[in-house]
Amino acid sequence: MPTTAAKPRWEPGTLTPYAFVAPAAILMATGLLYPVFMAFYLSFFDWEIGRDLGDANTVGFSHFLRMVQDPQVWEVLWVTIRFGFWVITLEMVLGISLALLLEKPIRGASIFRTIFILPLMVSPVVVGLIWRYLFDARAGWINYYLNAWFGMEPLVWLGDPELAFFAIVFTDIWQWTPFIFIIIIAGLQALSSEVIEASEIDGANWWQQIFLVKLPMIKSIIIIALLMRLIDVFRGLEVMLIMTGGGPGRSTELLSLHIYKRAFETQQLGYASAIAVLLILVVFGLSLLILKMSNPMKTKSDV
Amino acid sequence: MRLLSQAATALAALAMGATAMGATTAVANPYEKYEGTTIVVSWPTNNHFKVAETLVDEFTEETGIEVEIDYLQYLKLRDRQLLEMSKSDGEYDVVAWVVMWKGEYVNKGLLTPLSEMYTNAGLVDPDYDIDDIADAYLQNGGIVGGEKGYLPGKSGGLYGIPFGAETSILAYRKDILDEHGIAVPQTYDELAAAMTKLHEAGVPALTSRGATGHQVTAAWLFHLAPMGGRIFDDKWNPVVNSPEAVKAAEFLRHVAKTGPTGISSYGFGDATTAFLQGDAAFWLDSLKIAALSRDESRSKVNGKVGYALHPTDVRCGSETGGFAMGIPANSKHKEAAFLFIQWMTSKAADQRVVELGGDPIRISTLELNPKDFPEYPVVAEQLDCADPDWRPLIPEWNELNVDVLGQALTQVITTDDPVQPIMDEANEKIRAIMEREGYYVWQ
Repeated sequence: MPTTAAKPRWEPGTLTPYAFVAPAAILMATGLLYPVFMAFYLSFFDWEIGRDLGDANTVGFSHFLRMVQDPQVWEVLWVTIRFGFWVITLEMVLGISLALLLEKPIRGASIFRTIFILPLMVSPVVVGLIWRYLFDARAGWINYYLNAWFGMEPLVWLGDPELAFFAIVFTDIWQWTPFIFIIIIAGLQALSSEVIEASEIDGANWWQQIFLVKLPMIKSIIIIALLMRLIDVFRGLEVMLIMTGGGPGRSTELLSLHIYKRAFETQQLGYASAIAVLLILVVFGLSLLILKMSNPMKTKSDV
Repeated sequence: MRLLSQAATALAALAMGATAMGATTAVANPYEKYEGTTIVVSWPTNNHFKVAETLVDEFTEETGIEVEIDYLQYLKLRDRQLLEMSKSDGEYDVVAWVVMWKGEYVNKGLLTPLSEMYTNAGLVDPDYDIDDIADAYLQNGGIVGGEKGYLPGKSGGLYGIPFGAETSILAYRKDILDEHGIAVPQTYDELAAAMTKLHEAGVPALTSRGATGHQVTAAWLFHLAPMGGRIFDDKWNPVVNSPEAVKAAEFLRHVAKTGPTGISSYGFGDATTAFLQGDAAFWLDSLKIAALSRDESRSKVNGKVGYALHPTDVRCGSETGGFAMGIPANSKHKEAAFLFIQWMTSKAADQRVVELGGDPIRISTLELNPKDFPEYPVVAEQLDCADPDWRPLIPEWNELNVDVLGQALTQVITTDDPVQPIMDEANEKIRAIMEREGYYVWQ
């Protein structure tokens, strides 16, 4: 080819993509970057609602220093990590198993699928209320049936540290397993039937087909589901706020609930912002780690 | 009896009408100037304020001042009010605050001193009789800046009038006590013994709040003052590990062990439901239980409940709490707002509140209605020894309440660990917070 004359740099056409991206970029900046920036900014002040931000004292990095030494912050971080570990592991196992079971066109599969995704449609606040009453020690159904069927003494589900932790894990699994299920089943159904047929012809049995063919092929989808749940775990607070309020003690107080309580119950907005910055850093770090281990964007071309 | 109370209302209404008429002949009707004004009122969604909505309609009818009520759940009230009152152009003309917040509001310069209004003769109803309002309520909800900043005292000023105020009393199930041959407890020792006896007989004894955070702290505070304990001494040194405070914590543990199942997860609503559903023999909390237990749609114990004074230990000391109403500093209709507060807390209105199912603030109202409301004589007597200092009303209280005591007391009621070390640790944490906030600069 002869020398292609370099296009003029600022020909109108080159700007067009930017113009299309601009609205999204502006929305991102105002809706996402500004709050994050403000959280960071606020963490340098000692500010209470009802006073002018301009009058607030600057405290430098002292909120961050206090945070690093604050055993409460580490306690709730540990609670969050434990909670995340249990719910994500169990939801992944359950969600993927259900998807594999209901992927085949068995009788009534569509009814089951609809039923399974119902919990997902319920608002977290309502979920919190429903389960709070189900787990109620005095009048809850769970205690009632445990007593009627197994003769068990009533358990104080939401007033005992271990039981309350179990209760919020259980509730979260109830609500969010369908999310994994729905994503995985979409991935499974997008698999091309040729590959599956090929593996059948090659003599792969049911287990081999799942673990060596199907799951590896939807790996990127599994990673995305995992990532979304992980971020959700760190953001979630409504269900715990309503079911247990973080109690008893701090046994069900997730990091975001702790931030909420710091900010609105004890009115330490600056300090709460500092912990919010920690939250952002932790989620950011974990997300990077997962993406580094297996980047769905990269492997996309393999599928 | 209803007839008598109706007659009393009619009389009161007549008296009101007479004063209003008297006013019209001399000057104009005091409300005339503000007719058509709309004031916005920030109220909590509790029973008292809900029934008072009817009264607000009567106020508008009589005065021509329009009222818009913004109801919020009481825990959400403070953030919203702070936000509105700190704007240059706030929305509220009247706010009802939980007595705990009064110091913060005044300290941040958000409220109008009522002296501004009381110096305006055109606004003040000469028959209002502020002395008739229970002193414990007025001091606790309305006076700010006295001793320690929140107690009565010469340096204090009036910022609000109590409305929806309450104190703590003991409620008991007459039938259960009769059945087990238990006399109505007057002291903490008697109450503790009754609780043990009921528990051994398989009957849940005393219902209580107990959820982590301010609920469990509130439960403990009910027992702390009668047992002679305090949060701070006179120099702001924390004393929550004193023998009295530890005794109160041990009593709370006894409550959790002998009470209905699940106290460690109970908020006020859960504790109430347990009593109303017949799952507890005793109640030691707000007098609101009386109105609630008469409400057949929620209560299975109507007619079975008796009332007695908050038990004493080394002293008599009930809690006073609830709400008071005042005027934000940035209100644009302060006069109309004042007229509204004055009208709503007048003798006639107080009587109407009672008829509608709310809680009175005036001694005369308590004395006027003993037959329909068996708890009123108890409340009137209880108010004489109501303790205004049952917890410190300082801005740091939220943090001490939720983060320190709310955690320590959860440990007290959910474990069998020795109580003294738990309270020692809480005491040190409180000291560190007070140090950080500069309370020891005078030492």
